[in-house]
Amino acid sequence: MNKFRTALAATLLGATAMAAPAQADVKIGLLGGVSGPIAAMAPAMIDSARLAVQQVNDNGGILDGEQLVAVVGDSACNPQNGTDAATKAVNIENVIGIVGPHCSGAVLAATNSVTIPAGVTVITPSGTSPEISGLNDNDTVFRTVPSDDFQGRALARTLLLRGTAKVAVAYLNNDYGKGLAEAFRSEFEGNGGEIAGFAAHEGEKASYRSNLAELASGGADTLVIFDYGDGSGLTMLRQALENGFFENFVGGDGMKSDAPIKELGAENLTTFLSSAPVGEKSDSLEMFSKAFADVGGDPSAIFATTSYDAAFMLALAIEKAGGDKAKVSAALREISNGEGEPIRAGEWAKAKELIAAGTAIDYKGAAGDHNFDDKGDVPGTYALFKVSGDGFEVVSEIQ
Amino acid sequence: MEWIGLANYAVFMAIFICIYALLSLGLNIQWGFTGLFNAGIAGFFAVGAYTSAILTSPAVEGRLGGFDLPVPVGWIGAMLAAALIAWPIGKICLRFRSDYLAIATIGVAEIIRLVIKSEDWLTNSARGITDIPRPFGDLPYVYSQLAYLAIVAGVLLVAYLMVERQIAAPWGRMMRAIRDNEDAARAMGKDVPFRRLEAFIFGSALMGLGGALFAHFNRTITPEAIDPMIATFLVWIMLILGGSGNNRGAILGVAVVWIIWSMSEIVTDQLPHEYAVKAKYMRVFLIGLMLQLVLRFRPEGLLPEPQGTREEVSEKSK
Amino acid sequence: MDALEIINFYLVPGIVIGSIYALGAVGITLVFAILRYAHLAHGDLATLGAFLALGAVTLGGVSPYVALPVAMVLTAAAAVMIDKAFYAYLRERPKIVTVMASLGVALMVRAVVQVVWGVDSETYTRGIVRPDVWFGIRIRDRELITILAMIGLVLALHVFLQQSKWGKAMRAMSDNPDLALLSGVDNKKVVMLTWIIVGGLCAAAGVFLGLNYELKAMMGWTMLLPMFAAAILGGVGRVEGAVLGGLIVGIAEEMSTLFLPTEYKAATAFAILLLMLLVRPTGLLKGKVL
Repeated sequence: MNKFRTALAATLLGATAMAAPAQADVKIGLLGGVSGPIAAMAPAMIDSARLAVQQVNDNGGILDGEQLVAVVGDSACNPQNGTDAATKAVNIENVIGIVGPHCSGAVLAATNSVTIPAGVTVITPSGTSPEISGLNDNDTVFRTVPSDDFQGRALARTLLLRGTAKVAVAYLNNDYGKGLAEAFRSEFEGNGGEIAGFAAHEGEKASYRSNLAELASGGADTLVIFDYGDGSGLTMLRQALENGFFENFVGGDGMKSDAPIKELGAENLTTFLSSAPVGEKSDSLEMFSKAFADVGGDPSAIFATTSYDAAFMLALAIEKAGGDKAKVSAALREISNGEGEPIRAGEWAKAKELIAAGTAIDYKGAAGDHNFDDKGDVPGTYALFKVSGDGFEVVSEIQ
Repeated sequence: MEWIGLANYAVFMAIFICIYALLSLGLNIQWGFTGLFNAGIAGFFAVGAYTSAILTSPAVEGRLGGFDLPVPVGWIGAMLAAALIAWPIGKICLRFRSDYLAIATIGVAEIIRLVIKSEDWLTNSARGITDIPRPFGDLPYVYSQLAYLAIVAGVLLVAYLMVERQIAAPWGRMMRAIRDNEDAARAMGKDVPFRRLEAFIFGSALMGLGGALFAHFNRTITPEAIDPMIATFLVWIMLILGGSGNNRGAILGVAVVWIIWSMSEIVTDQLPHEYAVKAKYMRVFLIGLMLQLVLRFRPEGLLPEPQGTREEVSEKSK
Repeated sequence: MDALEIINFYLVPGIVIGSIYALGAVGITLVFAILRYAHLAHGDLATLGAFLALGAVTLGGVSPYVALPVAMVLTAAAAVMIDKAFYAYLRERPKIVTVMASLGVALMVRAVVQVVWGVDSETYTRGIVRPDVWFGIRIRDRELITILAMIGLVLALHVFLQQSKWGKAMRAMSDNPDLALLSGVDNKKVVMLTWIIVGGLCAAAGVFLGLNYELKAMMGWTMLLPMFAAAILGGVGRVEGAVLGGLIVGIAEEMSTLFLPTEYKAATAFAILLLMLLVRPTGLLKGKVL
């Protein structure tokens, strides 16, 4: 026991001593589900947010040339670790704002019990639960990922316009899959489409063939999958293709991932379409994609764009607020409200000058314009993508 | 890093430790004193959390409740609901021994989790329940945290004293007798199945209360909180590390495991920034390793069961 | 829905996933029988085996079938080392302590896999494999191999346990450890042998899981509960029982979608298990009461 106690004390002392000298820097927290069920998605999201931090530091730093420091915390996709990571970020690291957590459950718990009372601004790049809109948050909780409702409905209308009138829907049984699937269903059926199969599945199972057989028994030749392309969505897509259950496949933004192309081969995905948010009338997405690819990232990874935007906007807001924690959330609305000089992904030096001159700026992100509504949500702009070469290519805008 | 931040963090940890200590105490009644291998803690935790959430949150369309009742009603309801669920489970499953009971309770907990995750009308399925009132939640951050800590610490103290009293009473001696030598206890005319069921229900009610306190602390409860790893296995580690059969050990184990779990992140964060993500995997490794070290040097737990209450550990007991 | 459809889309996938469950469950049941505890690191050890095979495939450029024995040997070695490092000194302690140690090992093994191979979904071979049709029955060659390999491995294990000197020693340890020790069975060697076999079986389960589906860092952990259900269902300590249990769990999961909402698929294994425990508390084939 004594040995153990000494060891623990030594470790703690060591940690405290080493963590101390970073006081002069401006810190933001990047909380994500690094371990746990979405472990496969988290690294790209964290890395793209760190790209934004890197760009800030390479282009003059934040405020008076200070370094922006990203503190990564593991929210493990559950409320227990989510609140723990948020408490550490807020109290020990003294972050000014937080990007994350990734999973809605962790977002709800961390905001309710930590960041809202502590007055720290939070932008989640991937928490899609409608419950987040309803938070009583003193306007400190935002998200860069558009609500599921919007995307589900837009996708439904687009499919009907393209002449697909009968589909089966498979969705992951979590807030993301369920939200999309229900929005899709109500819009699709409301406009005369037929849903010939509608079923949830648990993630992380190995075999989905019987699920697919059930879905196919309704007679639809198009399967709509609301799942993650590097999780069980990949498994479903593979088994559906191998067994010929369906001819056409449509995914939500979660399915627009490199994993299916890499693992299944582009030649097998000719009938696969996927919707995903895009920046409206700007080349912001290309600028981000190039920058992220240059540092070895995968720009089409799920929620990479929303994570990047969240971090970049948080940095802009901190600059605008002069580093004052209490003003960050108001500043966040100012830097992206559709009015002012447009700032695209990575244009930190330009933004910094404009902010210093007192000119209004308007961030146009890689994943959309991000003009927050009064609940801190963003309306999305979506495009439909198809697989082409080793990547995705826009087929059409969707409304 | 300012001391005030550290103090805030310590308050948060203390709240968490108190909540998990209720789970650990509940498990100690079942395993430490009675020898029941309940591996379905997450299930009772979930039932408690959701019951209290449904009882106390404001009314919402599309799901059961909320009934907007006072918070204490929710907590009592949580204990009752967990006990009510435990009763048939115990009635059916307690006849199984050891590992069979473990897998049966895991199964029940998984089924509970899937129901909670899938049924809109009952629990709002995957989206969970929000707007759960938190006592003194309107105070500024620090005061509200301190107030909640006072509440959970008070609840824990009452629970601890109650359990201690029961264990010291003839009831406790009888339970240990059943645990250590069931046949002898039965020969002395003890109603073994009934006593076991009693312990199972009592322990489960405490787990339900822990769940309720957790839900109110976060003002929200989602299915992600009732994952078996974080809500079942973690509690087992806490109890075994702390000292099964010793209530203070059960609480100390919670504190030590949470400190390891949480502080390990601070240690691995010292790695250079390019490894920030990998550091999180290293952290999980470190947690595993620390557990091994504690087990290596204190296999009987940090605070073992007091001498004289347990017979020599026989080959059979686990 | 005709019979062929039931066979193709429910029974065959059920048997395939059931065979993989069976491979895992046999290992779990061996640990139960000889060492007498629930080994919670079993799933993550399977993950390790699958990724070791991936290492052989990517580095050596060999086919996954060649990588399988390599992974089995390496995982067996890892299992023996884990036993020596983390379980051996707890042998005289209450078994629950070892169960907790195995949970710690599970976390450590997973962390190693995540650090070394990352967290992306991986496959041994890129692309998709469409099934062949034999008299109307659709099955992929790798599925056939999975089923045959499972049967082969279990038969080999059976023969080993029944015929060889060491197999008999293992059975003796399982039946009555005190008596076995008295009759001169070398405890340490039996334990080591058990871990070699269990490690090999873990790797086989992991490789076949990866071959038929994908490799993920969490794949073993998510298989753990169904594998335990299968081991208990079959009767603790019974190798044939574990195979039977695995197949039943696999088939029941796939068949369940015919009757239940698909989100409850994962609950099927436990529902069957609970029902069975009520009727036959010792498992389908009479297992030990621990």
